[in-house]
Amino acid sequence: MLEKALQGNSRYWGWLGFLVLVIAVCGGFWTFQLQKGLTITGMSRDVSWGFYIAQLTYLVGVAASGVMVVLPYYFHHYQKFKKMVILGEFMAIGAVLMCMLFVVVDLGQPQRMINIILHPTPNSILFWDMLVLNGYLFLNLLVGWVTLQSERMHVHPPKWIYFFVYLSIIWAFSIHTVTAFLYQGLPGRHYFLTAIMAARFLSSAFCAGPAILLLIAFALKRVAGFDPGREAIRSLAKIITYAMCVNVFFFLLEVFTAFYSNIPGHMAPLKYLFVGMQGKTNMVPWMWTFAVLAILSIILLVPPKLRDNPKLLPWSLAILILATWIDKGLGLLIGGFSVTPFETITEYVPTFPELMISLGVYATGALVITILFKVAVGIRRENLDLKAE
Amino acid sequence: MTHHEFKVKWGMVIDLDKCTGCGACMVACQVENNVAPMNDASNKLRTLTWMLVYELSNHKDFPEHETAFLPRPCMQCGAPSCVPVCPVVATDKNEEGGIVSQIYPRCIGCRYCMAACPYHARYFNWLDPVFPKGMDKTLTPEVSPRPRGVVEKCSFCHTRLNNARQRARAEDVDPLDFPVEWYQPACAEACPTGAITFGDLNNPKHEVNRLIKSPYAFRLLERLGTDPQVYYMSRRDWVRYQGDNHLAHEKH
Repeated sequence: MLEKALQGNSRYWGWLGFLVLVIAVCGGFWTFQLQKGLTITGMSRDVSWGFYIAQLTYLVGVAASGVMVVLPYYFHHYQKFKKMVILGEFMAIGAVLMCMLFVVVDLGQPQRMINIILHPTPNSILFWDMLVLNGYLFLNLLVGWVTLQSERMHVHPPKWIYFFVYLSIIWAFSIHTVTAFLYQGLPGRHYFLTAIMAARFLSSAFCAGPAILLLIAFALKRVAGFDPGREAIRSLAKIITYAMCVNVFFFLLEVFTAFYSNIPGHMAPLKYLFVGMQGKTNMVPWMWTFAVLAILSIILLVPPKLRDNPKLLPWSLAILILATWIDKGLGLLIGGFSVTPFETITEYVPTFPELMISLGVYATGALVITILFKVAVGIRRENLDLKAE
Repeated sequence: MTHHEFKVKWGMVIDLDKCTGCGACMVACQVENNVAPMNDASNKLRTLTWMLVYELSNHKDFPEHETAFLPRPCMQCGAPSCVPVCPVVATDKNEEGGIVSQIYPRCIGCRYCMAACPYHARYFNWLDPVFPKGMDKTLTPEVSPRPRGVVEKCSFCHTRLNNARQRARAEDVDPLDFPVEWYQPACAEACPTGAITFGDLNNPKHEVNRLIKSPYAFRLLERLGTDPQVYYMSRRDWVRYQGDNHLAHEKH
């Protein structure tokens, strides 16, 4: 089926060439990091994880979100999502790949990374994260490939694949839960130390991920004439809206717990993020942007009239994606680490090389997703052509 | 988090009323443990300071203003937060004596342990260790230098413990109960005011065993339940309040 990725118009090849160029330039920055070490990043003793791991966190959500189309289709036989399912699975592959690359670029000694397998540690959540991410990658590759292959052959998918389909649905919840556990078990980091961390992760994943998927679907409609169908878009937008409301609700629960209990350690990260502490205010403009955009996205998504407006929906989704990204791709890690257990503030700003390396990882993910989507769309079109004949 | 108990528990009691903040412990530690000098040693967020002296203030104006200094080695916690998170078993607390180990050649530099340690006692090698010409002759031969990209931390000068054990076996003394002078870490040895007392917390023959029972003894962030093997002492109330995570209105 991969041959479908080799047939494309000049726009397709131009886009691939552009991505390869970005990857090459950013790869240069990565070799720079390999030579100089992580000293070229903005991380420090107190903020020991930065932009890389924050992107991992966000992308695990994107990966898990495919389940929002897969679950209704396979568990509830919601046929309208038929066309979207393969996109959800293939996007998950790209997202998981980016997650793993973000771990690799974050390691001080990446050449020793196989030690995680050579010295397995069931007590370390990072070990489990490695297992569930690899497992999810494998499951989506298998399920996506086999179902697409069957579609091409005009046969029903083999029975045995359903076991892996159902497994992948449950697995999707596990990857984000385990990633939340990565943080929420750490003592002395009050912003992470909350029982609903995993639930928050899932809720933000289930709004941001499908939003990204929908935006890509809109783009596909333009460049490849791939139409997911009006009903599918409406249903997914509804799911996104519910998830975003839950996401904001969960965040407000955190605010209530911290300020009503009046526990200084719990209040400190929120204070630092939204009003600044000890004169350190780097995050304040970001977090208020998040707050405004989050509310704006809800205003634009909740009323059916606005939500079902095809001209407005892409903008609402973009606002939602930006809001959730600030919350999870910036605020979560920086808020958690900058406020130290000694009640001092250590600010963190990613450096230019750090951002470029991250861009390179995103470009790699985009390349993989483009190729996979090209295959999926190509098979679909082949079938349509056959029908027309 | 698993709680580890041992027959021998090496620990420290640091008397903050005796500490003058001179930094001799920091220097002795760097020399003993082959920590390379850095271009900008004032940036504590990037330097390697297994032992770091913090300055505390009671935040009052003159004439009530008071300062205290707090040396901070690795706490060698009884329930360490760093050990369970390591994805490659590069750190463990599994040896008699209760010292939290660090295996440099295995560490992948993911810095998860740094995220978990509430004491900021763990350090990442952001830079290559570079020893100025001639300084290589002064390195401690028994202590391995660490490459860039791995995490390291205070080991209570573990090689000195090995030496003491070896001596005990050679002289037919119980390796779990040898004279305390045989094993003293570099910081305790160097402290000019005798603020650092070192020994087996469980051994009644050792001074530390008595000191930790003092009403003025406390441990850092004790409420987190990490059960550190490093104790502090101060007769000044405000110092004790700052050491544990007490609220402003609480009494110790």
